[in-house]
Amino acid sequence: MKSSRAYLNRIFEFVIEKAIFLAGILSIVFVFLIFLFLIKEGFSLFRTYSIFSFLFGTKWYPISSPPQFGIVPLLLGSVAVTLGAILIAVPLGIGSAIYIAEIAPRWLREILKATVEFLAAIPSIVLGFIGLVTLAPLVKKLFHLPTGLTALSGSIMLAFMAMPTIVSMMEDAFTAVPKSYREGALALGATRWEMIRRVLLPASASGMLAAIMLGIGRVIGETMAVLMITGNAARIPTGLTQPVRTMTATIAAEMGEAVQGGNHYFALFAIGIVLFIITFLINVTASFLVRSQRK
Amino acid sequence: MVDKAKIKIEIRNLSVFYGSLEVLKGVNLDVEEKEILAVIGPANSGKTSLLRTLNRLNERNEGFRMQGEILLDGRNIYKKYSSDDLRRVMGMIFALPVSLPLSIYDNIAYGPRLHGVKKKSELDPIVRQSLEAAFLWEEVKDRLNLPAMKLSGGQQQRLCIARTLAIEPEVILYDEPCSGLDPVSTTKVEEAMRQLKNQYTQILVTNNTKQAARVSDRTAFFLMGELIEIDRTEKIFTAPRDQRTDDYVTGRFG
Amino acid sequence: MERMQKQPVFFVWALILGLTLWALIFCPAQIQARSSAKHKCQTLQIKGSDTMVNLGQAWAEEFMRLHPTVHLAVTGGGSGTGIAAILAGTCDIAQSSRDLSQEEQESAKAANKIIMETPVAWDGIAVVVHTANPVSELTVKQLADIFTGTIQNWNEIGGNDLPILVLSRERNSGTHVFFLEHVLRGGNAKGTEEFAQTALMMPSSQSIVQEVETSEAAIGYVGVGYVTNRIKTIRVARDHNGPYLLPTLDAIQAGEYPIARPLLFLTLGESQGDIKSFIDFVLSPAGQEIVKALDFVPLEK
Repeated sequence: MKSSRAYLNRIFEFVIEKAIFLAGILSIVFVFLIFLFLIKEGFSLFRTYSIFSFLFGTKWYPISSPPQFGIVPLLLGSVAVTLGAILIAVPLGIGSAIYIAEIAPRWLREILKATVEFLAAIPSIVLGFIGLVTLAPLVKKLFHLPTGLTALSGSIMLAFMAMPTIVSMMEDAFTAVPKSYREGALALGATRWEMIRRVLLPASASGMLAAIMLGIGRVIGETMAVLMITGNAARIPTGLTQPVRTMTATIAAEMGEAVQGGNHYFALFAIGIVLFIITFLINVTASFLVRSQRK
Repeated sequence: MVDKAKIKIEIRNLSVFYGSLEVLKGVNLDVEEKEILAVIGPANSGKTSLLRTLNRLNERNEGFRMQGEILLDGRNIYKKYSSDDLRRVMGMIFALPVSLPLSIYDNIAYGPRLHGVKKKSELDPIVRQSLEAAFLWEEVKDRLNLPAMKLSGGQQQRLCIARTLAIEPEVILYDEPCSGLDPVSTTKVEEAMRQLKNQYTQILVTNNTKQAARVSDRTAFFLMGELIEIDRTEKIFTAPRDQRTDDYVTGRFG
Repeated sequence: MERMQKQPVFFVWALILGLTLWALIFCPAQIQARSSAKHKCQTLQIKGSDTMVNLGQAWAEEFMRLHPTVHLAVTGGGSGTGIAAILAGTCDIAQSSRDLSQEEQESAKAANKIIMETPVAWDGIAVVVHTANPVSELTVKQLADIFTGTIQNWNEIGGNDLPILVLSRERNSGTHVFFLEHVLRGGNAKGTEEFAQTALMMPSSQSIVQEVETSEAAIGYVGVGYVTNRIKTIRVARDHNGPYLLPTLDAIQAGEYPIARPLLFLTLGESQGDIKSFIDFVLSPAGQEIVKALDFVPLEK
């Protein structure tokens, strides 16, 4: 009797163990398969179209004859929007993270943290829509532009999306700085701001960088909001107040009509590879920074 | 000691609360100028709370409240000083040596720089004098640019003392400064304290009654947030008035 | 030893578990597939142009009300999707806002399939600008120059000194393709003209209307159904001899408005049965009333 129960238990253990193992392996397998598929489809473009003209071409005319698949305008479009978003989100993010971690009283801190997390829960298309009807006209009016559908509007919108990531990760980094550092500085007669500037910020520098990197990762992959609000003109941007076309928006807008197995279709996958590599590098850098902070 | 010593710090009817918990109960205490006052007592006696109230670090704690008043040279420290001005006058040394994540030199120069001393020609002598006063100069003079974290625990604690001296305080508060140190380092820290006696008023919170006996001029015994007894150190250790003091210093509890 | 004995038992367990899961997941699907196959003969699949999807649905609803035994399923996806589906035999009628491309004609020929085109309505494309824009007449050639970026300022065509903000639909839109071929390339299928790089690619006709409403510099194109009185429609002429026409019902039906396109039903071979009666309904006065109601242009008055 007793031994048969032990036997059942052992089988149960075994099944659970293997099931968990399978689940773990599956996620790796899926990632690998997705990457493989991306590579296979993307590289098909380069059988008939030179990789050099793809990477360095300045014109994106995928349905002309002959088509031109130069991703420079799209790449720079993504960079412009992302850079703009980071320029806005980082100072704001640092400010609000410091306020939440160091200055706000506890009740307010809880409210603020919840609010920031709530911001993360707003679907990007909703933010995009709000941006389209409120932000774009405002940008147009403020800068006297022919249109509000510009990289700047996209940047502001994306800054909102990156903020939750940046704020909550930075707040963690600040909280991880030992209390003794703060008190050590304060005991020397440092004011709160001096303590923050001389002790808190240097001590959490790598955590802050990681937060920024992850914010960038979040922003560069964002699609719907930029599709709606950046104007999608595939030209090389020379300023933030111009319309730009990002890589993500291009894929989303053109995938529907691209003939499966055609060069346009392959080119969109090739853009996917470029995006994948960029976000991969960003994430690796971020996790490297997080790890180096833990040490 | 001098009978009519000048009073540096007056503590009047001080009660301190964390939320509903009363950690100090109506404490009256005078600290004389340039004495070393030891504060002893078992865990939860309120010793550390007293120090943190003295240099206003307690204000950072959630739910902190206090009654009564503390006068430094006759001025109420919660009303007549800003918290950072007060902490400049009342330096504090913590139980765990907290060297900032900077070089040895920058750790010492940190305070003076905060208060506007920027020139290297002015900083250099301050750094040297502070390190000498804390008995650390000889050990580190050739590697001032090394990260302070690389120093041993005892060296780091003396670095913290030197760092506090660099801002030229009038009072130094020690919160169990030797609790994490080996006997040799402890001796060196105690030696530094004795050397500083001529210039500074020092308050030493310690769990080590022997250390109190070795270093201090007077000793205050706290129990459950109350000041039980304060007197000349030899008296506390040889003929205390209160039975509970006697029990504690002879090691019968605590 | 003990362990070795128990291994096979274990595999039996795993097998049973696996089979149960398989049965749970797949069997209902198979049953469902079989039962839906039974009904399939009465369901007509209509697929294609996004421009036409609402129109197709309105026709289908009315037709199903009149013929309760027939079921019509209308989906979008783009003209290309519809054409691919009719060639693959996965739909019965493809809705298309353009002719078959050369590639598509070739693949039809290769599959030995004859595609029949039936025009079912007209779609006029209106060129729209801000109400405060003094320009009100343009030739097709001028439009081509504006949208390719040759003309960059309104003062080159009699307007204010203001850089032109060019708005186009995204490349996945049939309207984009039509405008590209019939305006930018002047009907020359082998043309290489393209939209200017500075042209904004808008995700929907509605967003073009919105942008034109607010920007004095903007020019865009939308189906006539999207025109509102808060934007100004340009009179368009084939060439500078005129006439300059608005995309009115009359002008489009008479074939005089230069940027209009027929909306097509594509079927395989001569249509019969339910397919034929649906197409007949669409072409009937009742069907053409629906065209008008949805702001498209009926074939005839």
